[in-house]
Formats: sequence, C-alpha cells, structure tokens
Amino acid sequence: MSEMFGKVKYLLLVFMVLVFTTDYSLAQEEGAAIFKANCATCHSPGARRGTGPGLQGFWDRIPGGDDAGKTKWYLNWVKNSATIVNSGKDPYINKLYKEYGSVMTPQPHLSDEELLAVKEYIITYEPPVDVADSGGKQNPFIPVKEKTDYTTMLWLVSLAIIFIILVSALGSIKNSLQKSIAVKDDKEFKEPLPFPKNLLNWFANHKLQTGLLIILVAFIAFMQLYYSLMSVGVYQGYKPEQPIKFSHAIHAGENGISCIYCHHSAEKSAHSGIPSVNVCMNCHKGIQKGTWTGTEEIAKIYEASGFNPETGKYDGEQKPIKWIRIHNLPDLAYFNHSQHVTVGEIECQTCHGPVEEMHELYQYSELTMGWCINCHRETEVAGLAASDDEGEVAKNPYYQKMFNELRAQHKDVEVFQVEDIGGLECSKCHY
Amino acid sequence: MSGTKKYWNSVQHLEGDETFLKTADKEFAEQIPVEDFLSKTPLESTTTSRRDFLKFLGFSVSAATLAACETPVIKSVPYVVLPEEIVPGVPNYYASTYYDGNDYASILVKTREGRPIHIKGNDRSELTKGAINARVNSSLLDLYDSKRFTAPQKAGTQISWENADKEIKEKLRNTIASGKKVVIMTNSIISPSTISLVNTFAGRLSSYSNLEELNLVEHVTYDALSSSAILNANNDTFGSAVIPTYNFDKAKVIVSFGADFLSNWLMSTTYTKQYAQVRKPEADWMTKHYQIETGMSLSGSNADVRMPVKPSELGKLIVMLYNEIAKKAGAPALKSSPLKDDNLNLSAGIKSIATELWKNRNNGLVISGSNDTNTQLVINSINNLLGSYSNTIDIQRPCYLKKGKDADVVNLVSEMKSGKIGAIIFNGIDPVYSLSNSLDFNAALSKVSLKVSTDTKPNQTTALCDFVCPDHHYLESWNDAQPSYANYSLIQPVINPLYKTRQFQETLMAWANIDGTYYDNIKDNWNKDGYPTSGASSFRNFWNNSLRDGVYSAKIDGLLTGGYNLSSDKLARAADNIYSIKSSDWELELYTKTSIGDGRHADNPWLQELPDPITKVVWDNYIAMNPVDMKEMGFTVNLQQETPANIAKVTASGKEISLPVFPVPGQKRKTIGIALGYGKTIVDDKLIGKNAYPFLTTNSQNDILFYNTDVKIESTGETYLMASSQTHNTIMDKDLEDPEIGRKIVNETTIATYKKGKDAYNPTLTLVDSYGEEKTTDKLDLWAPHKYDTFGHRWGMTIDLNSCIGCSSCVTACHSENNVPVVGKDEVRRNRDMFWLRIDRYFSSDMDVNKAEEEGLGSWEMYSAMEKPEEYPQVVFQPVMCQHCNHAPCETVCPVAATTHSNEGLNQMTYNRCVGTRYCANNCPYKVRRFNWFQYDKYKKFSDVNPSQDTVGRMVLNPDVTVRSRGVMEKCSMCVQRIQAGKLDAKKKKDKVQDGAIKMACEDACPTNAITFGDLNDSGSNVRKEFNNDRAYALLEEVGTQPNVKYLTKVRNIAESEA
Repeated sequence: MSEMFGKVKYLLLVFMVLVFTTDYSLAQEEGAAIFKANCATCHSPGARRGTGPGLQGFWDRIPGGDDAGKTKWYLNWVKNSATIVNSGKDPYINKLYKEYGSVMTPQPHLSDEELLAVKEYIITYEPPVDVADSGGKQNPFIPVKEKTDYTTMLWLVSLAIIFIILVSALGSIKNSLQKSIAVKDDKEFKEPLPFPKNLLNWFANHKLQTGLLIILVAFIAFMQLYYSLMSVGVYQGYKPEQPIKFSHAIHAGENGISCIYCHHSAEKSAHSGIPSVNVCMNCHKGIQKGTWTGTEEIAKIYEASGFNPETGKYDGEQKPIKWIRIHNLPDLAYFNHSQHVTVGEIECQTCHGPVEEMHELYQYSELTMGWCINCHRETEVAGLAASDDEGEVAKNPYYQKMFNELRAQHKDVEVFQVEDIGGLECSKCHY
Repeated sequence: MSGTKKYWNSVQHLEGDETFLKTADKEFAEQIPVEDFLSKTPLESTTTSRRDFLKFLGFSVSAATLAACETPVIKSVPYVVLPEEIVPGVPNYYASTYYDGNDYASILVKTREGRPIHIKGNDRSELTKGAINARVNSSLLDLYDSKRFTAPQKAGTQISWENADKEIKEKLRNTIASGKKVVIMTNSIISPSTISLVNTFAGRLSSYSNLEELNLVEHVTYDALSSSAILNANNDTFGSAVIPTYNFDKAKVIVSFGADFLSNWLMSTTYTKQYAQVRKPEADWMTKHYQIETGMSLSGSNADVRMPVKPSELGKLIVMLYNEIAKKAGAPALKSSPLKDDNLNLSAGIKSIATELWKNRNNGLVISGSNDTNTQLVINSINNLLGSYSNTIDIQRPCYLKKGKDADVVNLVSEMKSGKIGAIIFNGIDPVYSLSNSLDFNAALSKVSLKVSTDTKPNQTTALCDFVCPDHHYLESWNDAQPSYANYSLIQPVINPLYKTRQFQETLMAWANIDGTYYDNIKDNWNKDGYPTSGASSFRNFWNNSLRDGVYSAKIDGLLTGGYNLSSDKLARAADNIYSIKSSDWELELYTKTSIGDGRHADNPWLQELPDPITKVVWDNYIAMNPVDMKEMGFTVNLQQETPANIAKVTASGKEISLPVFPVPGQKRKTIGIALGYGKTIVDDKLIGKNAYPFLTTNSQNDILFYNTDVKIESTGETYLMASSQTHNTIMDKDLEDPEIGRKIVNETTIATYKKGKDAYNPTLTLVDSYGEEKTTDKLDLWAPHKYDTFGHRWGMTIDLNSCIGCSSCVTACHSENNVPVVGKDEVRRNRDMFWLRIDRYFSSDMDVNKAEEEGLGSWEMYSAMEKPEEYPQVVFQPVMCQHCNHAPCETVCPVAATTHSNEGLNQMTYNRCVGTRYCANNCPYKVRRFNWFQYDKYKKFSDVNPSQDTVGRMVLNPDVTVRSRGVMEKCSMCVQRIQAGKLDAKKKKDKVQDGAIKMACEDACPTNAITFGDLNDSGSNVRKEFNNDRAYALLEEVGTQPNVKYLTKVRNIAESEA
C-alpha cells in the first residue's frame, strides 16, 4: 500500500512540475522528493537515458578526484550548469554536451543540503520491481473469466420437474380414487379429458379470465417489441477495445488529473476534443512505465509521436492514434460542449458517468433525445427571486433580461428550468 | 403611380400565356409523371406475385433490422501535435486576397481544422470595404475541383518535378542560346513581388545569350476581357497608360455607355460598394444613373434611365453627348451626323443627359465599356469638359487591374508566326480558347518549340502544351497584390497543398536558379518598399499586422502625371473613326455573365447553377434576343418546362455557332447578345454552351472589339430545352388584367413621390374584418401574439430593394454556408432547384400609354417607346427567402410537427422529423420551401454536377450544417447555426448579443449592405430601425402571415413623369 502511495505521489509530482512551476521547499531527508520535483523530467535515477543521462553510478563518473572534490564539483555544476557549458572549460561536460546536445537547466534555488540529499537518493536508489507483476491486484485490462453459477438454475429446474411429477401423480391418484368411489357407489365414471382439451374447455368456460389473459400476454409482447425497437441505435454501455489500453481510472481517478487538461476544447468548442499525442507526451516523456501494462502501452504513444525513449528525441515518423469513438450522436443532432460546460457549468460526470472509476471507458448515458429533453426539463436554472447563491446561468448577464421577464410574467412558478429559456426548441439542436 | 404598374417575371407572364397562368400558383408547373416512376407495363400484367412481394418485404425488414443492430465503429483520429491556433470545432479566419485577372477582392477565409469552407469580404480593406461578388465566394469550390492537375505532366503523362525542371531548364537555355525569345504570357499581374521576380527571371535567362544588347525574355500581358482602349486613350490624353480610379461615391450623375461596372468592369467590387452608398433616398442627394447599352446588363437593370442602342452606334452617341456638352461649355463641336435609326428618340435622351451632367459639373462621371480607343478618347474629353478629373476620376492614383495591351498580343502572334519565339510560358490564361480564331493563335502556337502552361486545370491551351507545370490554387499560395496605387494586400495559404503542385513563382525561381522561397521574396520586397513609409515600429510588426489585416494602405502622395493634353486634331480624328463604323441590319454583342465571367469559372458548379440575374437561365449560354424580334422571326417566346427554345445559327466573320434563342426584354431590337466563357466544361458528355470568343473582331488600331456587325441569323429548325428559374415560384400577385386589384410584391416609387411621405408610396395596409371594421393586418388575427414579442430575442431581417443590385453573391454564399445541393440543369428545368435564397427579377413598365399622355409628361417623347414594354422595361430585383412568418401557414399543415415556431421568431425546420408530405411547400405563399427529391450527394445522376460526390469536393461542406437526405423539406433556416454560435459567444463572454455580432451568410456576402439582420427586441438595433423605416413593407402583407422579414421600397431617381 505504501508503495502504491509513493507511486501516486511520484506521478503527481511529475505532473505538477510539468504543469506549474512552483517553488518547493521540502525537508532535507526527502532527497527523493527533491529529485522528482526538480530532476526527474530529464534524468532517471537509474541507468535509463532521458533528455539527460541516467544517473546510476554518476558519483563514480564525475571528475573531482576524492569525495570532497567530487562534492565541490557536483554542487557547482548543478547550480551553474549553463555557465560551465558556455565556458567550455570542463572536458567532462564538453563530452556530455556533445553527446546530449542540450544544456542542463541550472538549479540555484536548491541548497547544498538539498543537493546532497539528492546525491544520497541517487546512490542508494534501487530500481523498482516491475509493477505489473506485483501488488497482487487484478489488472483491469485482463478480463476476469466469470464462473457462471448454474446451481440456482439446476435447483429451479429440478424443483419444477419434481413439482410436475407431484402434480401428475396427485392427479392420477385423484382419478383412481374417484374411479374407485364411482365403482363403489356404482356410478358412471367419466374418464377425464386429456390435458389440452381440458385447457381449451377451461378457456371456453372462463371467458373473462381468458380475455384478461390474452390482453396480458399481448401487452407483454407489445412492451417487449417496443423496448427492443426503442433500443435500436442506443448504445448505452458501449465499450469498444481501444488501440491503447488507456485507463481513465488511473489518470483522472488516482492521479486526479483534471478532465480539461486533456479534453481542453470542452470549454471552448462544440467538441471536447480527443487529446493530441503531444498532450500525452507532456507527462509520458518522463513516465515511461505504466501501472498495469508496464512499458507496452506507453510505447504505443512513443510510436505515434515518433519519440525515441533511448535517445529522448522525436526523430521517428508520426503516426496518429486511431481511437474508437464511444459517444456518437447522429449527424442530425448538434451538441455543443462549451454551452454545457462553460455556460451551464455542468460536471462532466453528469453525462459521462464516473469516468474517474472507469479503467475502460464506456458510454454511461443513453444519449437519446428523450434523455436530453428530460434533463432540459428537470435542470433548474433560476429561482423566482434573484438570490446570491443562484447558479452561473442565472447570474450570466446574457440571461438576466430573460429571467427578469420570466419572473415578471410567472408569479406562480417557483423555479425555472432549461425549457423555460428555450431548451426544448427544435433548432437548438437540429439544423 | 406604383399602384397601376404591372410587374412581370417573364414574357409568358406579361402576355398572360395560358399554360403559364394555369400553372403559376402550383408548386410544380408540370404534372408529376407518376407513371414514369412505375413500370411502363400496366400493373395487372406484372409477374411479381403477392408471395414474392411478401418475401421481399420480409427480407428488407429483417435486413434493415440487422443493419441497425450493429454498433458502427467510428474512428476518431486526433492530431499528433495540435497546431497552436486550432481548437477543434472552432473556425479560424485568415485574411487573404482574391485576384484572378478580372476581379479583385480582399477576403476573409473561414477554415475549420485547416480546411477552408467559406469566403467572405474583408471589411478592413480601404479599397473594397468588404465587397465581394459571386465569383469570389465561389472560387472556394475551385480549390476542391477534382479536375485539377495533381502533378506536372509532359505530353499528357505525369512526370516528377525534378525531371520536368531539368528538361525545361535545358530547353530554355538552348532557346536563349540560339537567339530566340522566351515569352511569359500571363494575365495582368498585380503582384509587385511577382513583377520583380519576372524581371529577375528575365535577367538570369538573358545571361545565357551571347548577344548582350538584346532582351530575349519578354513578358506579355494578355487580358481576355481587355481594357486596352482605356490604357491607350489615357496614354494619348495624359501621357501615361493607366486606368484611373473611379469614385462612384462622389458622382451625382453616372452615365455609363455599355460599362457593366456593377458586375464585370474593372474594379467592380469597389464600384458596387460605392454605388450603393449614393443610392439612398434618405440621404441629401441620390445619384442618378443613366445606362446606354445593347443587352440588358446588371448595371443597366439598376439604372434609373436605360437606353438600348446598337453596339456600332454607341460611339456615335458618345460623340453626340460630347457635342451637347461642348455647346454648353463653349468648346468646338466635333463632326457628327444624325442617327439613322432614332425611333427611341435617343438623341433627345442624350440632350437631357447632357443637361443633367452640366447641371452637376464636377460631380458627373461618364464611362464607357467600349474597347475602342477612339471612343475612350471622346469619353476622356467629355470628362475633361465636365471637370470630372478634379473629383470623380483620380488619374493620380491609378488602378492596376488591367494592364494588357491588345497591340502587344497582336504583335506577339505575328512574332510567333515568324518563328522568333522559341519558348512560351502561360500563366492564368487560356489563349487557345479565347484568342483561337480571332487571331489565329493556334497556328502561331504550333511554330513555338517549347510550350509550357502553369494552369491548375486542363484547358484548351494545356492540351497543346508540351509541359504542364501546375500552379497552386490561390488558397494554397503566398502572394501579394497591388490593386491600385496606394493599396497593397497579401495572399496567404489557408490549407496545405492538396496535390503535387508548385506555385508559379517558385517554378520560375527553379528554372532561373534563384535561391530561397517566394515567401522570403515577398517579405524582402515589403521590407524594402512598404515598411519604410509605414511608420511601423519594426518590420516584424509591420509584416504581422499587414498579414493579419490582409491589406496595407500606404499613405503616399499621388503619382504625378501630366495634365489633360489631347490635341483637337486627335479628337477630331477619333470622332471621324467612330463615324466610319458601319452599322448593319443585325449586330452581335459579346458580353460576360455575372456568374461565369471570362470563362475561368466554367467548371464551378455553384456558378453554373447560379441563375443569370436577368434571364435566370442556368447551365447554358444562348442567343439573347428581344422577344419582339423573336416573334418576327418565328422563334418560340413562351418557353416552358417542356416547351423548348429554337436553335438558331449565328454566322459572323466567317465563323458560325448554333445556340438556342432566349427572349430578353430590353435587348436592343435587331441585336443579339451571346455570353463569353462557355463551351469549356463537359457535363454528362455534353459541352455546356458554346464558345463565342471566335466572334471577337479587331479594329485598325488593334483593339479587340466585343461586338460584331457582320452577322447573319437563321433558324436551324432544331429545338433545345432550357432551364430558367424565372417562371418558377411565381407568387400570387396583382391581377394581370386589372393591376388595381391585387397585392403588393415589389413596392417602388420615384424620388418625387418618396418626398411626399409614407402615405404617398407605402400606405399602411388595412383590411375590413367580418364586422365591417377596418384593421391593420397585425390586428386582424386568429391567433394570440407570440410571447417573444416581449421575451428574449426576436430575429428579423430587412432587405433594401434600393440597394439590392441583383448581383447574386448572396445566393452562392448561402450555398456555401448551408450545404445547399447543386442539382444540375435537368432538375432546375423541372422546378426542382434547391435555392434557399432566390432573387426574383421583375420587369415592369407603365402599360397605359394613354394615361401617360393624359398627364402631359414633359419628356414624353423620349420615352414614347414605353408602349412596348419588352423593349423598354424597368427591372426590380427582390431576394426572397423564408420570411419566418409569425403566423406561418406551413406550420399549421405539417402532420408531424417537423416545422415549428421557435421562441425567437424563427420558423424551424427539423429534418429528422420530416416525412416529406410537402404540405408545407404547398401552403407557403412565398414558395420558398424546397424538397429533396434525390440523395444529391450520392445518386449517380448528379455525379458530374454535385461537388460533394467526391472525397475532395466534400471537404467544402460546412460541418455545422446537416447534409439533408432524400425525402425531406428544407428552406432558409436564417443561418440558425450562426445565431446559435453568436449567442453562445455572448454567453461565454457574459454579455448581451451585440447588434451586428451575428451576421447571416447572405448579409455577409452582400456588397451593397442591402440585407440587415438582428434582434427586433433590441430597440437600438439596426434592423429595428429599418423595420420602422417608412419604406418598410411586408411581402404579401394581406395574407396575414406577419413575416419577420421586411423589404424597403425601391426608390428610382426619376421625375414622376419619367416613371
């Protein structure tokens, strides 16, 4: 569990470094944290080459002679890297610069103590065991073969058989008893009619019940047909296999990345936008191993973006990822994300469901017209009286005049729904 | 007066043709041939049994069900690296420039995810001020034309650029080395960078020669629609061969002798904008426009006074006008003689024009579209007497659009024939098509050993060339332009090149081993020439601002040219030459249509389907003839859906072509007109129209003349079905027998009546209800008022009939914005055109001759010919789209509620609900609803005409608008996608919708600002002001539909007596 937590923190930190540039002051002992916050974007504490060299065994490589000399060189280098490279006087650095072609960003904000903690962290660093094989948790991308439980079924079927046997046995007992009574009383015994004829007879004699039964059966059949027809073209629960085993649960859930970070056009455009590969690379240039799938899936991003993790360079051919679209509206319906996200301030989850819990994304809502209309009928946008705690829509100056007019016209209404401001108009969505 | 005026949309309408009247009120003129859809054999004799039918039914039902069950897999492919400026789903606009050799317009290109989908005008241009025309916004479709060359070709087979360059370079070197000339033949180049590049190219190539003194590389400018005469005349008059800048917005009197300045003549986009500015009756003064011309042109149809004249007599009238003005100015008169044929009292007309011009000295403008240098010399001298050069004509700041001199071309052809030309490179022109017979160009071309064309599409010239090195489309190119003296603009690429093409300029650079890119060249030039005088803080700022705006106007002094200096001898000689032009019995005028221009747009389906503003004919050219002449010659005038036109053979200058004859009221008697630019495109294995360029003639001064006096016409006895939308959608109008009865469709008046106040020309309409009470139409109502009268938005539109010139750029803009399908000639002929916005054109004239006489009109003599309305009609244009009625008749009859009313005043059309009963179309009094008879984007019948049938052509579709399927109704939605986008924009900005923030596609495209759209509930909006304008009236107000669209009465600048 603690390892899991460390992993999350690691991801979070890297993410934060990439997105925000904040000044950190962390406790001395947390060399690892300092490393991750300041160095991990370009350096691996292991042997892997990033934008800069992998730091495994760096203490043995660097110049300076003895430990004290090395320490001096190390502190000087990290704080004044640019000056040293530009001066071109350090042969070791010249060699590295030739190989990597980029200047390390100087880190003068780090104190000597912090840097030494980082050094300790690197020296004592041990590469983690492959996460995919550890933890004992179920990989959500490998479907569990569910054992189908036949026992209940078996019980039911045998019960039914016993019941039928019992009924027929009781029937024949009843028959023979009646027969023997008839023989005893010397009365004529009428052989009972065979079952189907008997049933027809019953139907003929019970017209009301028969009629009701027919109506019931017809009703059930009709409802069945209705529901099966209504489900044509409704793909609720649609969960196609995507070209990359991307987990929203890890990104949005565990790591808490905002939806808008990747689907950035949802606030501005009709489309929420599927993130371009360069957005993935913002983090995955550093994060090269995934929680469940190791390097296999992340390698697909590298292939798409033409990134070579060995050299840290984008020198390959770019191949766009062909995602499979899950939420499909028919061409005749126009939907605009920004109207709902920016103007209406609706949570993404309202329509897309608990995405932060989905490893594999599926269509949560029906996405039918009835579903849209229903929401427009139920969603409240303003109360009868303007108040401070009303929603963004009611506060939006664009709607102000409209609500004032509505409030003046309808004294008896307590709240106004989307439909009151035109949410059910045909050409809001169809044109 | 307007009350008794009779309006007619066609000769059939005027004459009350029985078939026409019978069908006028129907949605479709002809019976729908139901039998044709079913099999020809009667139903009884068919072999399909009931059981078979049930089997088919069962199969198709289950197949459809199975197909519906499968989840479609839709891929979504994001960018690898998202370009910074792109937000998927949000359009980007880029400023660019349209220039094709004829038209210039500064434009904004709307792109979605890197693909251009719409073109509109750029308001930041000080020159065009956002004006465009139909050819400009339709040019977008040429980008996606599947006929374009995809790679260089040698003798018809594709080769690589490397090989093409290698071979051509070697041949060019050899040509120069052998002492022969290399000629670059283009249309007028207005790009300063290209001009300097051509000079560099010439210099580099000339260095291969051993003969230092000879310039062996020559640049010849050839304009198919030449304005060479103006250049020559100004050279003679002012000492510099330039075209001046005309200021139509300063002219109180405009007299145009055959110049169609609203459609085709020089900088027509600018002129259109200026013209509309001074045609407002509300202003202090309104310009008066006289047009003297042969065929009915767009400018002529907008003129206050129009006089038809034979082309050979045009010059003589100009000399007459000179003499009249000279008399007033005290200048010596020129030799003249009275007109032979003066039945229309043209000389009287010229006298009154002269009086009007002299009254407005310094504010008059006289122009001529004639390409005869003599005529233009007289025009210059008239303008000099009137003092126009001080105000309405600016010779100091010339316009650079047409630079081609016909004499250079004639000279080139003779040099080619004599074998002096070793290589010729064409760009942007098709001389084999447009020069072929008049100058024997083909024979001359065969003498040239290296022929290279850089055209983007196959044409008659590329067919004869050894190499084709295809140029980019202009939307894929970098370029600059200098359309007039102080105005510069930039062309920037808005899409990556679709094919392996290369920009013409880069091709020249490759052949002359010039390093760098053309883009750098342009930047260098702007750095050297524009930047120093711009006052910008840095070149970077200057360049970026210019690129963002698309235009740059230099604040520099005018070019100094010599003053007016035309010797009286020269003028007298010119007049003599004019009088030596022989008239003949029949004369032919070669004109250009608003849609097709000189022919470079012949492949453009939007433009081919755009009805000609006057004749409303689509997909054809024809012989335009006055209906009176047609009757005399026995040609059918009453053309109907199934009544074909007669084909006549026209013989002129030894060449002949056969074309159908079409009636055009207003065409000068005994003249015919044929449009240039046709006979290029093949649709369904048939050539569209015929090429009329061979009829061009040249005069003794080598001017190419656009008329022919050596003409014979004879019937061939054959017939031809034509498609004209002019008789479609005839709306219920005045009783043709008694114009006092009936409804007001177009309302027009004269300036004098207008000044008397609203009641005189636009009285408030009242109707009497069943209780005998007189009520206005909004009070006489079955329904309760809509709640949007006070709540939210109420969208409305006004159309100023005074500003509308009928140019039709709104129609093509609507096509582009709303994915309106192109349906082809056959469907248009069957009244199945799909225009959401049509322009109704009505002819009118005061029928009652006696009445006019009774009133004792002053200049009655001049207009005596009005008794023959077909010869002397007035024209009104009226754009009609869905009127978005408050009480819409279509809504009440829809059985499935597919067409409903929105709470913002729009009449909504929901395609997915429509089941195609067409009740709505039947019930629409304005006839604006269109039915999708076919799947136009898939059905094979439309594969040649509908651009969205191929994958590249489909890229032009607007992704925000549904492509309608077969079996549904459609109509103008008031660009509801733009309204929604505009509202959303306001919501996101947390602000109200600003007036003018939402613009309709038609409004955006209108060069004259005739269309105004906005929120009627916004008391400060322009549309609200226009709605309350005294001129405003609703179409068919009596019907009680209460439209949200209103028209503003047309006011003609004529004395009441002239009406």
